[in-house]
Amino acid sequence: MLDGAIFIQYREEMRKGEYLGNFELMLLLAVLRLDEDAYGVTIASELEERTGREVVVASVYATLERLQERGLVTSSLGDSTPERGGRAKRYFRITAAGLHDVRDAKRDLVNLWKGLPELKDEKA
Amino acid sequence: MTSKHPPRLATWMLRRFGSGPDNEALIGDLTEQYVKKDSVMWFWRQAMKAIPISFAREIRSHKLVAARALLTGWGIWILCLLTLFPFLGSLYFGVGSGYSFGVMVPGVLAPFSPGQLLGTGWSLLWSPVLGQAAIPSGLEGQARAISYVIGVALPFLVWSMCGWLVAYRFRDQQTAVVLLLAGSNLFMALFLFGPYILMIGAVGIPLHIAPVAASTAASVMGILLGGGLFRDRLLYR
Repeated sequence: MLDGAIFIQYREEMRKGEYLGNFELMLLLAVLRLDEDAYGVTIASELEERTGREVVVASVYATLERLQERGLVTSSLGDSTPERGGRAKRYFRITAAGLHDVRDAKRDLVNLWKGLPELKDEKA
Repeated sequence: MTSKHPPRLATWMLRRFGSGPDNEALIGDLTEQYVKKDSVMWFWRQAMKAIPISFAREIRSHKLVAARALLTGWGIWILCLLTLFPFLGSLYFGVGSGYSFGVMVPGVLAPFSPGQLLGTGWSLLWSPVLGQAAIPSGLEGQARAISYVIGVALPFLVWSMCGWLVAYRFRDQQTAVVLLLAGSNLFMALFLFGPYILMIGAVGIPLHIAPVAASTAASVMGILLGGGLFRDRLLYR
């Protein structure tokens, strides 16, 4: 049985999210690639183009909201256009903490990638 | 060839039932992308997935608010069941008809028994519907009509009030908490009346299925209407 302090620490680490999930990492990379033009549609399109899979735009927002709560991205409301029915865009930008987590994830994945015979002919 | 305007019904549903502060931006995104993709099916798929995703996200982020909203809504309902409904029922059916306060209150104390849904604490939640079974013979005509009013109109009014209060009190999460309350109502109806309908068998179904369905539909509609989900402007916008 976990004692109180350890349990609180465990909960806190879980809440903070020690590691980035696969979709979270892909979203952060898409936001980085798009730079100042990162909003729902462009992020989803970027992911679809790179992965070849259909992306649910609502899941992009749900995940980015979670990343925003963890301080890995920030968001701001932008302009609206007639083709959007007069609705404003929500732009996302990666923070220094987000960039740090992406670098950590890359380092961890590359280290795990190395030396695996099954993946020898593939580039990391 | 499809229209450049996204499907109205899908947009309407997403606008009414989509949760969270980014719902408008999301609708804008889907509208913008629809112009490029020009696919009705794509828009519907995105909109119908967005409603449960945004709802789950909002509830997960505000668990305490969700719990308090459920307690508030069901608390008011149970309070009305204990006071208003038995009082109105006894006015028409008389004390001892199964609607009166004196009969229902001992029912609260009775232990849960799947074989005895009538007269236990569980039946208290559904007395507006189950009460119809207690209409004395010879009073079917007017009494049944009044019973339907009690079983349908009163839940509609009371749940509208619950929906409004929950929406007003937790206005920052208005859509999500109202949907949660409506969903809990539907779940309770299935949870309680599923076994009940199976228990009474095919013979009792025609007598009970219509009041159950009407009362449940009235309750859910009451919550959605009272909770303001059919209005153009939500409380937090």
